[in-house]
Amino acid sequence: MEGLCCGPGYASPSEAIKAPSEKLLYTIAIYTGTGIQKPDYLATIDVDPNSESYSKVIHRLEMPGIGDELHHMGWNACSSCHDDNSMSRKYLLVPGVRSNNIYVVDTASNPKAPNLYKVIQGSEIKSKTNLSGPHTVHCLGSEIIISFLGDAKGEAPGGYLHLNKDFEIIGRWENSMGDIPFSYDFWYQPRHNVMVSSEWAAPNTFMPGFDLEEVGHLKYGRRLHIWDFKKKKPIQTMYLGEDGLIPLEVKFLHNPNSSHGFCGAALSANVIHFWKTKNDSWEWEKIIDIDNEPHPDWPIPIPGVMSALLVSMDDKYLYINNWLHGDMRQYNITDPHNPILTGQVWMGGLLGKAPKVNGVKVAGGPQMYQLSLDGKRMYVTTSLFSTWDNQFYPDIRTNGGVMLMIDCDVKNGGMKINKDFVVNFGDEPNGPSRCHESRYPGGDCTSDIWL
Amino acid sequence: MKTITIANRNNTVYKVKGKRPLLSELRSLGLVLPYGCQYGGCITCAAKLIKGKVDQKSQVALNNRQINDGYVILCVARAKTNCTFDIGVESHDKLYRNPFIDPLEPHELKADIATCREIKHD
Repeated sequence: MEGLCCGPGYASPSEAIKAPSEKLLYTIAIYTGTGIQKPDYLATIDVDPNSESYSKVIHRLEMPGIGDELHHMGWNACSSCHDDNSMSRKYLLVPGVRSNNIYVVDTASNPKAPNLYKVIQGSEIKSKTNLSGPHTVHCLGSEIIISFLGDAKGEAPGGYLHLNKDFEIIGRWENSMGDIPFSYDFWYQPRHNVMVSSEWAAPNTFMPGFDLEEVGHLKYGRRLHIWDFKKKKPIQTMYLGEDGLIPLEVKFLHNPNSSHGFCGAALSANVIHFWKTKNDSWEWEKIIDIDNEPHPDWPIPIPGVMSALLVSMDDKYLYINNWLHGDMRQYNITDPHNPILTGQVWMGGLLGKAPKVNGVKVAGGPQMYQLSLDGKRMYVTTSLFSTWDNQFYPDIRTNGGVMLMIDCDVKNGGMKINKDFVVNFGDEPNGPSRCHESRYPGGDCTSDIWL
Repeated sequence: MKTITIANRNNTVYKVKGKRPLLSELRSLGLVLPYGCQYGGCITCAAKLIKGKVDQKSQVALNNRQINDGYVILCVARAKTNCTFDIGVESHDKLYRNPFIDPLEPHELKADIATCREIKHD
């Protein structure tokens, strides 16, 4: 169990799977872009089925100002410093994509009601590192790196902010961005001395909304980048072309010895599989291709928009979403070259397959999801990014976001929406908000990396 | 001094100097406005100009169609004349567009990639 012998996290993925079930979730909820003049907040959600407040928001930690657009987040520490008993998984780092502020939230003093511990001001980050548009947070031993999508003026390619364990700015993490045109997500696998990074677009391109024509003008990404992790510089580019338009989330398998990883190309709606070959170069292939779907009112078929991707802790299942279609899928990836579709559920989306789930009208589609360490409970939210939500799902303004839970069959494969769980962010006290990324206090399937 | 009228707030009137961006001037006069990046890159603070002229040349968020529809990025725009605006999401009816249903013409893209064609400036 976490904290019994050592530092944070678990000795191995197989130990993590045995951890007790999560009882709380922390989920980002935004008002930015909704018309409601209130701060974004971190919601605590009760996910203990034996609790009276099960499936409810039980606390809201408001940020100090409005307009942050909280988006993704990450812990101060994970299993990468499991053998350092001076560290603990206590602080959640919550960046605001638009404000550039990074909020450090203390979740340990009172797990149900986390409090704001420190604010790293966006202006300080800009002046010291010339970075804006923070996205992915990974701890790295006792230190922290955060990907940023732009320079201080919102132009690509951005870079990486390096913080020490006291959340002080060390500077830029990378020694070189090479010829990388765009940044977004990253993941590292230390036993292979590798980091992989993906490409969205410059903040000035994606923040105002999505102009499809800008993809053709090469304003959006289509590459993955392999880094020498110790030298902190890119060493190989994988050009994905039309198969990899807007490659967003990247994940390695959890097994620290594995070099296999996956990326979801959002606009192409393809899964890209990449791995290290015997001669130490990196190869990629397209392993899943979601067809565009016809729509009665659209002149062209709807792409899936595969905006996220997740691997179960046992490395057996890959989960993907199609935000515009409205489905979540589970694939068995025991052979990563040949995934097998083993589960699929529908919620919201533009194809009209599941407009209402568990009594709640779903505005939006499955977008961000987090999976329990045992792989059995997946929590899914419906908002992508305020301006993009407003383009594709205008009803989300009045309906707000929704969180649903999927029961995942880890033995035989399969997914089923749980009938007893729904959190309707349309009913929030300050009006409809939109829920996005979630993290579990004891760890989940996107928080831990093993050295 | 310039007179700024907010049409969809009962024609409330504010007097501004026109030296600082409208977001900052109007907020300091007590008008509650949405905002995000505060450098003209993210569209959160967009308002619709109904009458008047602004200087918003440092904005990088709007495409030419949005500019032609009257949208102004308040965090960087300065009033050049008296102006009338609609503010908030109620003014965003034409700001957001499903790009698959309603594509842009080449001259309607953002300024850095739009093809040349005379663009109507208010």
